[in-house]
Amino acid sequence: MTVATLSEPSLDAPRAGVLVRVPPTVAVSLLWLAVIVAWSLAPGLFTGHDPAAGTPTEKLLGPGTTHWFGTDDLGRDLFSRVVHGSASSVSSALVSVAIGVVAGSLIGLLAGFLEGWVDTVLARFVDVLLAIPGFLFAVIIVSALGFRTINAAIATGVVAVAVFARVMRAEVIKVRQATFVEASYLQGGSRWQILLTHILPNASRSIVPLAVLQFGVAILVIAGLAFLGYGDPPPASDWGRLVADGEKFPFAPWMIYAPAAVIVATVLALNRISRWLRRPA
Amino acid sequence: MRSSYPGFVLRRLGQAVVVVLLAYIATFVVISVLPGDPVSGILNNPENGFSPEQVDQIVSYYKLDQPVPVQLWESLSRFLTGDLGVSLRTNLPVAPMIGQVAASTFSLAGAALVIALVLAFAVGYGAHALPRWAGRDLLRAFPSLFLSVPNYVVGLLVLIFFSFQLHLFSVIDSETPVGTFFAALTLAIPVSAQLAEVIIANLDHESTQEYATVARSRGLTQAGLFVRHLLKPASLPVVTVIALIVGELLGGAVLTEQIFGRNGLGSLVQQSVTTQDTPVLQAVVSLSAVVFVVVNLVADLVYPLLDPRVRLTETRARATVPAPGRVPGPFAPSGLSTPKAG
Repeated sequence: MTVATLSEPSLDAPRAGVLVRVPPTVAVSLLWLAVIVAWSLAPGLFTGHDPAAGTPTEKLLGPGTTHWFGTDDLGRDLFSRVVHGSASSVSSALVSVAIGVVAGSLIGLLAGFLEGWVDTVLARFVDVLLAIPGFLFAVIIVSALGFRTINAAIATGVVAVAVFARVMRAEVIKVRQATFVEASYLQGGSRWQILLTHILPNASRSIVPLAVLQFGVAILVIAGLAFLGYGDPPPASDWGRLVADGEKFPFAPWMIYAPAAVIVATVLALNRISRWLRRPA
Repeated sequence: MRSSYPGFVLRRLGQAVVVVLLAYIATFVVISVLPGDPVSGILNNPENGFSPEQVDQIVSYYKLDQPVPVQLWESLSRFLTGDLGVSLRTNLPVAPMIGQVAASTFSLAGAALVIALVLAFAVGYGAHALPRWAGRDLLRAFPSLFLSVPNYVVGLLVLIFFSFQLHLFSVIDSETPVGTFFAALTLAIPVSAQLAEVIIANLDHESTQEYATVARSRGLTQAGLFVRHLLKPASLPVVTVIALIVGELLGGAVLTEQIFGRNGLGSLVQQSVTTQDTPVLQAVVSLSAVVFVVVNLVADLVYPLLDPRVRLTETRARATVPAPGRVPGPFAPSGLSTPKAG
């Protein structure tokens, strides 16, 4: 029975792997992320306006043909500010996800693999991280490190460690009981060799969609910290800070709409891709 | 062997106490790496008007001249007796400062939880039971959308439309019931998404179960099936999710209170962050960890009583037969370690 179920899907697998069908919503999401990445890498290609230099005569203009997203209270072009702000918003989210994935996976891997007192100690550590409300914890860490965007990214990453550690631990425990791990032991594989060549690659499969999801969460949280003023100081135009700038001018709501729409679209795209990656293959 | 319920309660209680203590220590460690030195930064700043005697008093109270472990021990033993210390900013005891504003935050968070539940069940029922032409698939996209819209953007939009344009409430006096409702709505929207996702998934799962098919074959309508059979099993997991999102409600309150100009724990945190008022930060964060742990403890303890399918069978399946040969301990191949029946 085992032989039959094993051989059939493995025959089909390579064929299914070549032609990955991408649903239209996922394609749109990927396209949008490509735009954001392009904005981050080469903002100058997309807008001729200087994000920092304002034209006082053109202040608080609504969206139009010259200023796509309108202008702010100093007459600065909002589209340009959003485009130039994306590098900082995207890279800080990347830093935060990297911290969460690396530290969280390591903790989860060790806890799930070593069991015993190591597992107990690490599990309590993760419980403690989970017990402190995430956003509050991030605020505390940022206030300890200093109000910079990179520190907001570190804080967001530290808060995310617990999530990755929990999922990784559960996956490791699941994979550890698989027959191929058993077979590898019987062939004389050492513990660390098996950990690196069999358990880590298999267990990290569910980490990838989680990391994409966390990327979106990180953008939201870092923008939230920037909104409170815990990011880089003014000439910087992080998305969260742009929303905060708009807060003072409720009669010019486009100052909120533009950066907010970019944040929402980006997070929505990331959520959609994460869901697609998580689908049963 | 089945573990007894009182034993389970005791074990969970012990874990909860340990987690709260560790959370206190973790917060203390994070705060004590603050680059700014509170003594020179706040106490010796002439603008704050501390006399040298007062500075000495505060330094000796917090043992600020001693190494960090001594300070931690001092602070922790005070925390255990219920003393939360003295604020560096206002020179008042922290506990009454928190007491003054906690009611505002808890009413905000409580109202938000109720609104989130109502929203989530409405979306969940619609996404499950509405016909396709009535927008069922559109409703299924709601949780994703709600999760992607930042809390502060919702708040600003609510302010622009309901306060500045429709004049339903005023930010100047935001603690009125209407003001609280809109602030709670802001806080509730991202939270309701997580609840709705769980409810939708559970409804989908339960409605394919055999008992649902039987009920349908007896001629029960969609709504009747929902109320009489699906609602209860689908809402049970919500208890656990509610416990988990309490932390998010407290964290989200920081942003919501700032936008709506409310005077609560969140705005207290903000003031304390800008003035580096570490005792207040320490107290608020520890307090929210306590709230989180207690709510989760209650959810865990109540769950086995609510759901007869969940009985505490943790210890039953664990076999303790030593692994044979040179196979390292925790990795005994499953085939070898399975105890022979009987």
